[in-house]
Amino acid sequence: MEPALQARELVRSFGAVQALRGLSFAVHPGELFGLVGPDAAGKTTAIRTLAGLLLPGSGQARVLGRDPVREGAAVRESLGLMPQQYSLYGDLSIEENLRFFGRLFCLPRAVFRERSERLLHITRLSPFTKRRADALSGGMYKKLALACALLHQPRVLILDEPTNGVDPVSRRELWALLYEFVGDGMAVLVSTPYMDEAERCHRVGLIHGGRLIAEGVPGDLVRSFDHEVYRVEGGDRSACDAALAALPEVVAASPAGARLRVVVRPGAGGRVADAMAAAGASLHPADADFEDLFLARMAEEAVA
Amino acid sequence: MDTRMLWIQLVAVMVKEVRQTVRDKRVMFLLLVMPLVQLIVFSYAVNFEVDDVPTVVVDRDDSAASRRYVAGLLADGTLTEVARAGDEGEAERMVEADVAKAAIIIPRGLSRDLARGRPAQLQVVMDGTDPTRAGVAAGAVSRYFGEVALDLALERLRIRDAALGTTTRVPGVRMEPRIAYNPRLITAVYMVPGIAAMLVLMITTIVTAMGLAREREMGTLEQVLVTPIRPAVLMVGKLAPYVVVGLLDVALAVTVGAWVFEMPIRGDLTFLFGATALYLMSTLGIGLFISTASTSQQQAFMGGFLFILPAVLLSGNMTPIHSMPDWLQPVTWLNPLRWYIEIVRGNLLRGAGAADLWPQLVILAVMGMGILVVASMRFRKRVV
Repeated sequence: MEPALQARELVRSFGAVQALRGLSFAVHPGELFGLVGPDAAGKTTAIRTLAGLLLPGSGQARVLGRDPVREGAAVRESLGLMPQQYSLYGDLSIEENLRFFGRLFCLPRAVFRERSERLLHITRLSPFTKRRADALSGGMYKKLALACALLHQPRVLILDEPTNGVDPVSRRELWALLYEFVGDGMAVLVSTPYMDEAERCHRVGLIHGGRLIAEGVPGDLVRSFDHEVYRVEGGDRSACDAALAALPEVVAASPAGARLRVVVRPGAGGRVADAMAAAGASLHPADADFEDLFLARMAEEAVA
Repeated sequence: MDTRMLWIQLVAVMVKEVRQTVRDKRVMFLLLVMPLVQLIVFSYAVNFEVDDVPTVVVDRDDSAASRRYVAGLLADGTLTEVARAGDEGEAERMVEADVAKAAIIIPRGLSRDLARGRPAQLQVVMDGTDPTRAGVAAGAVSRYFGEVALDLALERLRIRDAALGTTTRVPGVRMEPRIAYNPRLITAVYMVPGIAAMLVLMITTIVTAMGLAREREMGTLEQVLVTPIRPAVLMVGKLAPYVVVGLLDVALAVTVGAWVFEMPIRGDLTFLFGATALYLMSTLGIGLFISTASTSQQQAFMGGFLFILPAVLLSGNMTPIHSMPDWLQPVTWLNPLRWYIEIVRGNLLRGAGAADLWPQLVILAVMGMGILVVASMRFRKRVV
């Protein structure tokens, strides 16, 4: 099956900053793909390139097999984009924003009415249609942006950090909506800086420094992660830090509350435990999660 | 995409633009109040007429003749007596202290000298800070005393003729000025067309520059650009409402000019509005160009002023173009404001039409096209 969205070896620089360095991934119809990575990893640049708002320095972006810049008109008919920053007219009401974008997509009146009513209903914005967009809460605003991006029933939907600045309840709602669309066969690409959201995607790509450092089904990725993860308890914090920094077996050490969480090479737990005991601390095994995986991959990438 | 769809998109953009404009109090203020304020303030404040120059009079002769001369000099209203001084020194101090802008000093013995047929002298002291005023005031004094001298000479001749029984014919040249188009030389009548042109430039250029910069700054441009709308349709939809605004501003200026300042409307107004449309191509094109070069509304605003200030100064409205240095005069050829002001003035004050003003029309059309084409090319490039 042809992928709905495809990035092939995308490279893009802004002056001296290399935002993308050979980014490749693909999203298939009916798939929810998460592009997960910290700020400045290249997520927004990748999304803007796929949406045809940026030309790649080299490499190719494809939407349903088409070039999003050269075949822009055709691509835009079947692509929905929800940018990261505020992108609706704050001085227009919910209704006016929807109608404006409906007109830009040249939807017939009856079709527009039916779709906007349905979208307002599922986003639970129906009671607020007269409210100005700049008077909406973060979550409501994102849902309106989503509704505007879905008016023309795109086959491909791209969302740039849709849950950023959104309360947990609205966040869950947003994800529920996305599952619904994907269930109908839509291809959805979501970017997020939150590692805990990676598990909600069908597949994820971990992006760092403008390329993927890991890709796969979230559960599989965590399961196949062969490193050991421990909590460090007790002992003097700075002494522990110094001891851990000196051990090459320690791939990543990060504060988790008042304690430290360490990721160590497979089979190296014993040696690290000895070093910790010398610093007056003890090691306790913990379950690996996505963040451990990400930190470990990032550290290895830096060494390589 | 068929034409009907382009129209739907175009109308959607225009409706949205008008809605946003009406809701933005700052922009509405800019569009409604600023034109009126500027029109009134500029028309009243910029006044090239010189009268009521405060004058201190020193009459050391204090004779019937000197009193008659002083009264005669002050009669036409160019100079107005504000004080009397006993001597020259006091009069000069009053000019220095800014009590008066001019001093007329009639020395002792003026009437005696005149009666004996000897040349008499009088002194005028002027504050030259304002060269125009000083020049006009000095001119009024010398014109008046020139007439006095001529009258004295003729009087003398008549007495001589009577005594000798002869008749001497004196040749003379008399000027009878007839001033066409603005017979009372009211500055406002000359200024209003220029102000109308300035208003249109300021409002349409700045508002378009800011309007597009705002879309970029707010991120809304991105959302619009992922819809199937063509950049050209977006651009036309955003500019079209300001064509209406520009035409309304001209109508407003002409109305206020005619009612408040008794400016004549001798030309065909349809012609004037047609010419305004040509002029708007330039002002909107420049606004569009500035917006493609700015990333924020603030930059667009500054950019707008950076263009408007020299454009106004080089338009010939404040300073006549022929009194600019030779190297600077050709620069005004590139200024759409200059040509439009010539059209408005010619049309309103002289009743001139296309037969007379076609060179200006052609220049505006060519300039407007050029600016719009370059600006839209830049706009499209900035878009992708």
